[in-house]
Amino acid sequence: MVTLKCPICGGNVEVEDNALPGEIIEHECGAQLEVFNDNGRLSLRLAETVGEDWGE
Amino acid sequence: MIVIKSGGRVIKNSFDKLINSLSNYNESAVFVHGGGDIVTDYSKRMGIEPTFVVSPEGIRSRYTTREELDIYVMAMNLINKNIVSSISSKGRNVVGITGADGPSIYAERKKRIMIIDERGKKRIIEGGYTGKIIKVNNEFLLGLISLVNYVVMAPIAIDVNEGVLLNVDGDQMALAVAKTLRADALVILTDVEGVLVDGKVINKLSVNEAKDLAKKIGPGMNRKILMAASAVEEGVKRVIISSGLKDNSVLEALSGKGTVIE
Repeated sequence: MVTLKCPICGGNVEVEDNALPGEIIEHECGAQLEVFNDNGRLSLRLAETVGEDWGE
Repeated sequence: MIVIKSGGRVIKNSFDKLINSLSNYNESAVFVHGGGDIVTDYSKRMGIEPTFVVSPEGIRSRYTTREELDIYVMAMNLINKNIVSSISSKGRNVVGITGADGPSIYAERKKRIMIIDERGKKRIIEGGYTGKIIKVNNEFLLGLISLVNYVVMAPIAIDVNEGVLLNVDGDQMALAVAKTLRADALVILTDVEGVLVDGKVINKLSVNEAKDLAKKIGPGMNRKILMAASAVEEGVKRVIISSGLKDNSVLEALSGKGTVIE
């Protein structure tokens, strides 16, 4: 596990070592966070809302 | 004026009946076709294994890479022209287009989508070449309808900013066209008799009943019901979800067979 900071509440967020960029983590503060690669290090940002009206 | 949508399974398994049903409807209509299963067949025959992704709500959709987009456009255009030639052979005037023609259907490429990945985790990935419909060219479609009995539309739209064709959901395309044209009816032909609850077809639903029911039934049909409710709220007089596998399916649906949302 890697401990990262929630960009919204500043609290700790436990992220699995093998987390992939794009992975979504629901934090206890209610924020939906996206794992991203920040110059070779895993980091977190607020996930944008992504709709579901896909193609055929 | 009505809008009719038929999914790929009806086209694949009941093509002749569908063509007869469309030809027996004597007034003007826009017909939006699907064809996902047929695209998958072509993709495999061309040596490209299609990729599917599952949304957090459990909806399984095609993931369209640039390479697969080409096959999608080829296969959908072939389906479109097969429908056009078959309806024409019944003596009806028909034109077949994609949303890029006109342009009639504008969309934005979905740059990112959320999926459940192979490890069962929610993840955001690049969106590929699927799109969200943002505008329907009302005047262009009305102009076409004034010239022919049927406008047959393949579920392909255009992103004019990126200059690319996009795979769009046929149900969403039919919904957008029906709303824009304020259609008298949107007929959704599927491979089931209508909305089924405990094995029985629900014959009528109000908008609110449809929204409540959508929370209780499985993915796929729930999306169609929510779409139907939204269509009626935005000016479509009624939506009928009915079987496309039967003889005279269009006229049967318009007579109230299936599930009517109004």
